[in-house]
Amino acid sequence: MPFFDALARWLGMKKKEVNVMVVGLDNSGKTTIINHFKSPETKNHDIVPTVGFNVEKFKSKSLAFTAFDMSGQGRYRNLWEQYYKECDGIIFVIDSSDKLRMVVAKEELNLLLENPELKNRSIPILFYANKMDARDAVSSVKCSHLLELQSLSNKPWFICASNALTGEGLHEGVDWLTDQLKIVLQKKKK
Amino acid sequence: MLSLKRDKKEEEDGGGNPFNNLEKSTVLQEARTFNETPINPRKCGNILTKVLYIINQGESIGQTEATEAFFAMTKLFQSKDPILRRLVYLGIKEMSKIAQDVIIVTSSLMKDMTGKEDQFRGPAIRALCSVTDHSMLQSIERYMKQAIVDKVPAVSSAALVSALHLGKGSQEVIKRWVNEAQEAVNSDNVMVQFHALGLLYHIRKTDKLAVNKLVSKFSKQSLKSPYAYCLLIRIAAKLIEEEDAGSESPMFDFIESCLRHKSEMVIYEAAHAIVQLKNTTAKDLAPAVSVLQLFCSSPKPTLRFAAVRTLNKVAIKHPAAVTACNLDLENLITDVNRSIATLAITTLLKTGNESSVDRLMKQISTFMSEISDEFKIVVVQAIRSLCSKFPRKHNVLMTFLAQMLRDEGGFDYKKEIVDCIITTIEDNVEAKEAGLAHLCEFIEDCEHTVLATKILHLLGREGPRTPSPSKYIRFIYNRVILENAAVRAAAVSAIAKFGAHCDDLLNSCVVLLERCQLDTDDEVRDRATFYVNVLKQKQKALSSAYILNGLQVSVVGLERALHQYTLEPSEAPFDLKSVPLATQPIAEQKVRDVPGEVPSSKPTQDKVAASRQDVYQEQLAQVPELANLGALFKSSSPVEVTESETEYYVQCIKHTFNNYIVFQFDCTNTLNDQQLERVTVEMEPAEGFEVIKYIPCPLLTYNKPGTTYTLVRLPSEPTQDTSRKHLSDQVIICSSNLFTSLVTGTFACVLKFLVKDCDPQTGEPDEDGYDDEYVLEDVEVSVADHVQKVMKPNFAASWEEVGPENELEDTYALSNMSTLEEAITNIIQYIGLQPCERSDKVPEGKSAHTLYLAGVFRGGHDALVRAKLALDTSGVTMQLTVRSTDPHVSEVLATAVA
Ligand SMILES: Nc1nc2c(ncn2[C@@H]2O[C@H](COP(=O)(O)OP(=O)(O)OP(=O)(O)O)[C@@H](O)[C@H]2O)c(=O)[nH]1
Ligand SMILES: [Mg+2]
Repeated sequence: MPFFDALARWLGMKKKEVNVMVVGLDNSGKTTIINHFKSPETKNHDIVPTVGFNVEKFKSKSLAFTAFDMSGQGRYRNLWEQYYKECDGIIFVIDSSDKLRMVVAKEELNLLLENPELKNRSIPILFYANKMDARDAVSSVKCSHLLELQSLSNKPWFICASNALTGEGLHEGVDWLTDQLKIVLQKKKK
Repeated sequence: MLSLKRDKKEEEDGGGNPFNNLEKSTVLQEARTFNETPINPRKCGNILTKVLYIINQGESIGQTEATEAFFAMTKLFQSKDPILRRLVYLGIKEMSKIAQDVIIVTSSLMKDMTGKEDQFRGPAIRALCSVTDHSMLQSIERYMKQAIVDKVPAVSSAALVSALHLGKGSQEVIKRWVNEAQEAVNSDNVMVQFHALGLLYHIRKTDKLAVNKLVSKFSKQSLKSPYAYCLLIRIAAKLIEEEDAGSESPMFDFIESCLRHKSEMVIYEAAHAIVQLKNTTAKDLAPAVSVLQLFCSSPKPTLRFAAVRTLNKVAIKHPAAVTACNLDLENLITDVNRSIATLAITTLLKTGNESSVDRLMKQISTFMSEISDEFKIVVVQAIRSLCSKFPRKHNVLMTFLAQMLRDEGGFDYKKEIVDCIITTIEDNVEAKEAGLAHLCEFIEDCEHTVLATKILHLLGREGPRTPSPSKYIRFIYNRVILENAAVRAAAVSAIAKFGAHCDDLLNSCVVLLERCQLDTDDEVRDRATFYVNVLKQKQKALSSAYILNGLQVSVVGLERALHQYTLEPSEAPFDLKSVPLATQPIAEQKVRDVPGEVPSSKPTQDKVAASRQDVYQEQLAQVPELANLGALFKSSSPVEVTESETEYYVQCIKHTFNNYIVFQFDCTNTLNDQQLERVTVEMEPAEGFEVIKYIPCPLLTYNKPGTTYTLVRLPSEPTQDTSRKHLSDQVIICSSNLFTSLVTGTFACVLKFLVKDCDPQTGEPDEDGYDDEYVLEDVEVSVADHVQKVMKPNFAASWEEVGPENELEDTYALSNMSTLEEAITNIIQYIGLQPCERSDKVPEGKSAHTLYLAGVFRGGHDALVRAKLALDTSGVTMQLTVRSTDPHVSEVLATAVA
């Protein structure tokens, strides 16, 4: 229905499409987070560790997201970079109760930031300090310290604590990302 | 408009294929479009089709390029377009074997396979199984099990078939899916039932008892699917074959009952299976043949075709059964479908008598021009068998073949005719001159270089030995003037052979060859120069070694040895003796396709493929302890040293080197509750031999073959040890039996190992093990292990070349042999040399015959044997003459037979 799409866009009804990548260590809750955004009929009730990646679509208040939900297991992490080039934003998920592997997460983040595809782009990064409900979870502030986010200056970033099981904190993050991406889209137009 | 024009043009030169002339690099460049967002499904679909097209054209794509394209393609998962998605599945399957990290699509495919879109689920399963490696199988197992019993037939079928493919890699996992497969067999869908039965069979295939049960179970509970029935018939037939059983087998009853099935497919399959069985009587065959006979007059061309094709195949084996259908076959001769007609005629030719040959040949010639090459080949094959059946008919048949050679036809067809003429010439002396004349005529106008060179080679071999050799020279020399370089070179070689063999033609051949020295092509000039110089020496021995009998080393081996020599240059000249010899194929490859047998996979001997022995040489060189034994002289064919169906299955291959023998034992552990470690074969050596080293097989798990080697030093024997010869004359005076005893012997063998019991389910072994052993059959080292077969195309010339210096002669009475053929088979088997000049075939009705054998003894000494055999009332007498370049080799061989 190309005509319909065109009409819808002309009327400003059709939402703009953006591509984001969801990365982070395994078991951090990436798939669970994305699942939360999906419409009730497409929701998945049986979440298993991701092998490779999955493409999921969901909508925020004014954007249509295509999310590449990547696998966080060690052997697949080096494949993330295959998808950097086309993405407009990044969601980096941290298991805030997994203090032991916080350094690993930091390492992976640094690799990502140093990647030639991303290094000089001012691409927005949203951090979820996920599993805030867990007993020994650290706060989002502590999390940003552990990851040394304060030194990340050439990209807009935002961190918020979340609980993917209840959805708490998730919308706050995506709203921020939506605003950032709209700015980028606006700039592109000009 | 512009594009329309271009399309039109493409249509003209590409037969309407828009993908013709696609360039790999351009297509892969285009594939980068997949990375663009948003996705344009139409455009991407088109490009992906191109990628698939070039892969299917056999274009080879490098790993890096393929991986890049693959990852680009994974981005198409963003699009929900059904056509594009299904193309992506195909793309994944095609690239899964070439690209890296293909498991990246696992989750995406798993989502589709469990998703709501039924049309995605089947293909997603197939794609998933193509990217799944062994380590990932566990994680998809649950989903596969569910899919097998899915209510959507396409999903269930896809899962079953994929499981079959996975089963090729790891039987273990799919074994656990047997319950699901059982359930799927009960499906109402004909395909699902068929595929499920296929999987069940595959899982149980190695367990004969279980297969037996499977067949008897399903033959009672009537299956819905005719396809499943056909499969069951095939399994049953295979069981009968394996058990070497006949109609007394309960399996046979089942197959026979299928002749009364309501589906034609099943009836045909059953009839086909019965007539192909080995041990059947005329009575067993009768119902199957009558079914086929009925099909011969069916209005459906497929049934007529199937029936006549099957009858054609079994015509030689069961002529009586087929003659019962003669009337029906006669009717089919005029069938509008030419394929059916051809098969009908060739079947009749196979079973007919000598008097019907002329009539049928005439009948065929009326439509030879209307049938395809494939069926023309069937006709040629029929003629080939007629030639050997009715040698007296060779005139009619040769003329017919010559006519066919003149007609239009492709390479395969022409090659078949040429081969047929060549075998006829070789089998039937009387047909020789006519055959050669036809071939001479053919090369006058032959567009196939391969055939022309082959025929020239034949002319060079056979021509000089005909009554008037000179008449062939003109044909051959014409090629030098008119043809391409390859053919010219072959012609030059052929001329040289006439010069070498026929004294009276020597001078004119030299003149012709001298003219060839002015050729524009290097190869042709080189050959001519070489031959002119050898011929001018006028020495028979030289001509024999360098022109008539040629080089006898393995081409692959020579290449490797020369390469090695250039890597480590030395003062010493290159030694041709260090190169392994070209091995003669173990079984005579010329077993002309006996029509009626299941078509044997045709040996493609034309290529310079690495021979079996070259492969062994390579493998042995990989074992550090065996790497420095020198060039491998000979590898025996494998011999079983265990009974079949015992706990362990062991085969022995003997590899002979200059001073050593390596015994290679290929072992299989058939017990699933045992794991063997440090497996060796301990050998009790025969006198003079010495075991140097055992190289154990570290681990032998259930059903995974492993190899252990035993290295044995050969007795330092007279053929090598010249010092000994001078040391004491006694050694030589010693009974000649000494020589044979020093090269032959019997070795007692025991398999030794450490056993660890293990859980048959998981294969998990116990911590501790215990030592155990298992007695194997003795291994014999015979004279044949020390000689390598070498074909001397011109035996007489080689005989003169070696000369009588070390000749030994003796006469033996082989009283326990009752025919010449039997004596010949035994002599060849024992001495292990190559029969030359087709002297292993005794012309019918002869009571005396001469066998010529040739080869090389370990150490590089030529060995020739002439055995004159005569048959009388008391058995066979043999006058054996041995010539060799080494006196001791002669003795070894002369005593071998005694
Ligand atoms: N308590 C708690 N558990 C969570 C939360 N988010 C996810 N989980 C659980 O964490 C586990 C891992 O979640 P996934 O979404 O599969 O993690 P992932 O990051 O996609 O993992 P990979 O695909 O292997 O990279 C699941 O058992 C989730 O139920 C959370 O906010 N709180
Ligand atoms: Mg995940």
